[in-house]
Amino acid sequence: MIQLRGVSKTVLSGGQPLTILHPLDLDVATGQCLAIVGPSGSGKSTLLGLIAGLDAPSSGHITIAGTEITRLDEDALARLRGEKIGFVFQFFHLVPSLTAVENIQVPMEIAGRPDAAARAQALLDEVGLHERGHHYPAQLSGGEQQRIAIARALANDPPLILADEPTGNLDSSNGRHILELLLRVRRSRGVTLVLVTHDQSVAAVADARLELRDGKPVIGGPDWAGSAAS
Amino acid sequence: MRFIVFMAVREMRASWRRLLLFFVCIAVGVGAIVALRSVIQSVRVTFAGEARALITADAVITSNQPIKPELAARISGRLAVAGAESIRAVELATMVRPADVAGARARMVELKAVEAGFPYYGEMTLADGRRFDQSMLAGFGVLVRPELLTQIGVAVGDVLAIGSRRFTIRGVIESEPGRRLGAFSLGPRVFVDLADLQSSGLLGFGSRAVTQQLVRVPEATVDRLVTDLRQDFKNEFARVRSYKATEDSIGESFAKAEDYLSLVGLVIVILGGIGVSSVTRVFVQQKMKAIAVLKCVGARSSQLLAVYVAQVLALGLAGSVLGVCLALAAIAAIPSAFAAAATPGVVIHYGLTVPAVLQGLGIGVLVSLLFALVPLLEVRHVKPSLLLRDEARAARVDAVQVVVMLVVASGLAGLTVWQAGSWRVGLVVATGFTATALVLHVAGLALIRVIRPLARSRAFAVRHAVLQLSRPGSQMRIVLLAVGLGSFFIIGVRSLQENLVKEFAVNASPESPDMFLLDIQRDQVEAVRAVLNRHQPVGAPPARLQPVLRARVVGVEGRELQLDNYDDVRGRGSLAREYTITYRPALERNESVVAGRLWEPSPSSEGEVSIEESIRDRFKIGVGDTMRFDVLGRALTATVTSVRHVEWSDSRAGGFMFVFRPGLLDTAPQAFVGFLRGPQDATARALLQGELVAAAPNVSVIDGREILATIQAVVDNVTLAVTVVGTLVMLSGLLILIGAVAMTKFRRVYEAAIFKTLGATRRLIASVLLVEYGLLGLLAGTIGSTGAIGLTWGISRFALKIPFRPLVGLNVLGITVTAALVAVIGVAASWDVLRQKPLATLRAE
Repeated sequence: MIQLRGVSKTVLSGGQPLTILHPLDLDVATGQCLAIVGPSGSGKSTLLGLIAGLDAPSSGHITIAGTEITRLDEDALARLRGEKIGFVFQFFHLVPSLTAVENIQVPMEIAGRPDAAARAQALLDEVGLHERGHHYPAQLSGGEQQRIAIARALANDPPLILADEPTGNLDSSNGRHILELLLRVRRSRGVTLVLVTHDQSVAAVADARLELRDGKPVIGGPDWAGSAAS
Repeated sequence: MRFIVFMAVREMRASWRRLLLFFVCIAVGVGAIVALRSVIQSVRVTFAGEARALITADAVITSNQPIKPELAARISGRLAVAGAESIRAVELATMVRPADVAGARARMVELKAVEAGFPYYGEMTLADGRRFDQSMLAGFGVLVRPELLTQIGVAVGDVLAIGSRRFTIRGVIESEPGRRLGAFSLGPRVFVDLADLQSSGLLGFGSRAVTQQLVRVPEATVDRLVTDLRQDFKNEFARVRSYKATEDSIGESFAKAEDYLSLVGLVIVILGGIGVSSVTRVFVQQKMKAIAVLKCVGARSSQLLAVYVAQVLALGLAGSVLGVCLALAAIAAIPSAFAAAATPGVVIHYGLTVPAVLQGLGIGVLVSLLFALVPLLEVRHVKPSLLLRDEARAARVDAVQVVVMLVVASGLAGLTVWQAGSWRVGLVVATGFTATALVLHVAGLALIRVIRPLARSRAFAVRHAVLQLSRPGSQMRIVLLAVGLGSFFIIGVRSLQENLVKEFAVNASPESPDMFLLDIQRDQVEAVRAVLNRHQPVGAPPARLQPVLRARVVGVEGRELQLDNYDDVRGRGSLAREYTITYRPALERNESVVAGRLWEPSPSSEGEVSIEESIRDRFKIGVGDTMRFDVLGRALTATVTSVRHVEWSDSRAGGFMFVFRPGLLDTAPQAFVGFLRGPQDATARALLQGELVAAAPNVSVIDGREILATIQAVVDNVTLAVTVVGTLVMLSGLLILIGAVAMTKFRRVYEAAIFKTLGATRRLIASVLLVEYGLLGLLAGTIGSTGAIGLTWGISRFALKIPFRPLVGLNVLGITVTAALVAVIGVAASWDVLRQKPLATLRAE
């Protein structure tokens, strides 16, 4: 599902080039659950952003579901994200001016699906917020907002879900519920799931782990993924 | 497409309140355009339809000289061929007074003498409801406007002295065809029978009567008749005009008025547009995250751009519709406001006209779109990675932005040209507006620099106020532009008005004449002088009676200019017009010789003429050249011996293009004009006028004080109109200020919360706001006042040619009021900043 070859990211910081992700190879099979762990500033979110095509790598190639995304322009990337990738953020990032159900509808409307409204309602049910659809994000708790964000990520039935610290902004009880929801979704839909987390208990439920430190992978046991590109 | 529509509708649900103010700005401008255009179009349709009634005939022949018999015969021939009939009429400004009251006051009136058959078109009605009939005039009857009755204290049935005859007042005119709305008038209208006028002695030599021949002619031959008569009148002082020309000229002048006035509306719309641009910029900044989210879930830049363009279009349309409603309300208020000034007999149906509404809507939407486009392009640069990490995008301008800016600029220029109805005017206005905006912008930058040292002030309020104003993303420049422009308009117009009024006041110094006598015949000079001497106030300079003659230039033999006959002269434009000339031994107080030498005071039979310098400059006639004149049929030749400069602004002592040496013209047919300083007291003035008219019935007395009052009234009206416009601009500016405060409020509330947690009291935060907006208002007022001083200087110096007087008090007042307004409104609009509790604010962040 995901293939990275020699992917790195260098940004300018105070006029000086700063490598936040060193060249990296990574393979994630379809249906697999990968946890990316590491302390803050280790390059986890950067890597996730690169996989999602939110950001372009400074070097290397990224292939998602057979499509080499490093060659795509902004619009093609947007289309790919709409169809193939669902994204869940630490800070939810719901559109504040839209109601919960409208937030879920948006990706389907962008994709031009005619059944957006009905399907959004079904997704609301799936995340257990049946009666909260007409509320605005500001009227929802953090846990509820994150469920809406997950429902939104599932809107177009993407084969790949990327989650950036999905429990990082929630208390432990809410965090556990969100994690369970993600795992349940993964099982029922057979999607590939990539989680960024610094919570070892979250990482423990994954099939494989990639630990980053200072933008470089740390090699661990048999379930460890990724390697420094040669 | 569905996504775009849905998204636009949903976003608007949340954002319309924040954007509302700016679209109110658009509404004010659109309202102005629609209302002005509609009113003028209504008036125009009415008047164009009434063109025949306005001239009371199909065509009218006018001349300010008696028509020579041979020409009259020719006209009769033409009329017969065209199957036309005609009646004669004479218009003349003259004096009337009650005949049987000793020491009665006299009054100048606009007399019209008509023959049976008048009017061919339109209707004259009397106050008692009777319809006009010539029999009411026959046998020395007179019909008068009601105001004359009160002005000289007479009633229907009383007898008026007009010229050397007595006329009985037989009725009061309520409405008269052909009187124009707001036309300048020397006095109330009176009607007499033409035959009676001819025996009154008012049509004697030198009379300024205008003779008219009103023609009724079949539609099929009217054009031909007018063309033929124009041919006949080529070398005569007669003109002919058909009702069609009236229609055309009415149409043309109304079209011009409409276009110019709508430019004012356009300026207001454009100010609103500037507001739209600034709100859109801040709006997009606030929407960055939402845009990034939408991109993250698959939206393309073009789709998002479309979402926001759709919102702008919808809100622009809403603002424009609101503007049309404003216009509707304004027009509904018109009939009552204008009822008094309306032309009697012409009923105008005011209402919104379809073209005006369509134009207003189009302009509102277009301006909204054009101004929003450039800031909206920023949507393209929002990166979805923004959601992962805050990353400042380097501000850069890409090719698309440059192209769009050019498109927007030419779009606005095109809009202005369209509204002005002329390329030249449109481009001048567009350039002027750009230049003004640029100057205000640069002035804003300069002023920020000036106040920047205050950021090191020890006073917390002052320091933070200055920091707020000068930091990036501050709405300061936009507010400066909008409010500065408003105060510029208002202060500028007020300064001009005061300068003008002061100019008149200065000129009306104790020595300068304030009464003017016209048409004194040679044999009346002594009698008139005797009356004047009796009434002359002690110490006043003696009245001067000056001969005047009418002359045409019929040839020039000069070094640079050779004109052999009148046809050649005509090729030189205004040189061919009829000039009023005089002769005297010396210069007047307001004259000086700039070339050559003035003659000796003694009379000479050699023709010598002194020309005014504009004649020299425009027609290249100089000292030593010989000019030939036609003075009422007498040919005479004179050598140019000097060129004079005339101080026209002080021309109440008289200003002449051609002054002759005494001698040559002494025996020519001539009348006299008089300049005198009348008594101060109104009763004494009235008495003087009454006695003058009793001694010389045909003499017209023009009271300078009344004219001054009329001019003052006109200036006041114009000032009022421009002040209304200025107020509208100011209003737009203040709306933009309120909007700008609202746009940056979120950040301000947050900052205030931090200050509060650090120990700042609400009072301290309020004083920061007060200093900040007070300073902003002070800067805007200073910019406006500086601009106004420039404007007043330029117009005084170059257009009005009057000395420029800086009005310190007015400018200080203007700046103070602007500063106070901006301070109060700014603080009031920031109420939330003071009110919000810090903890709730910080938690929400």
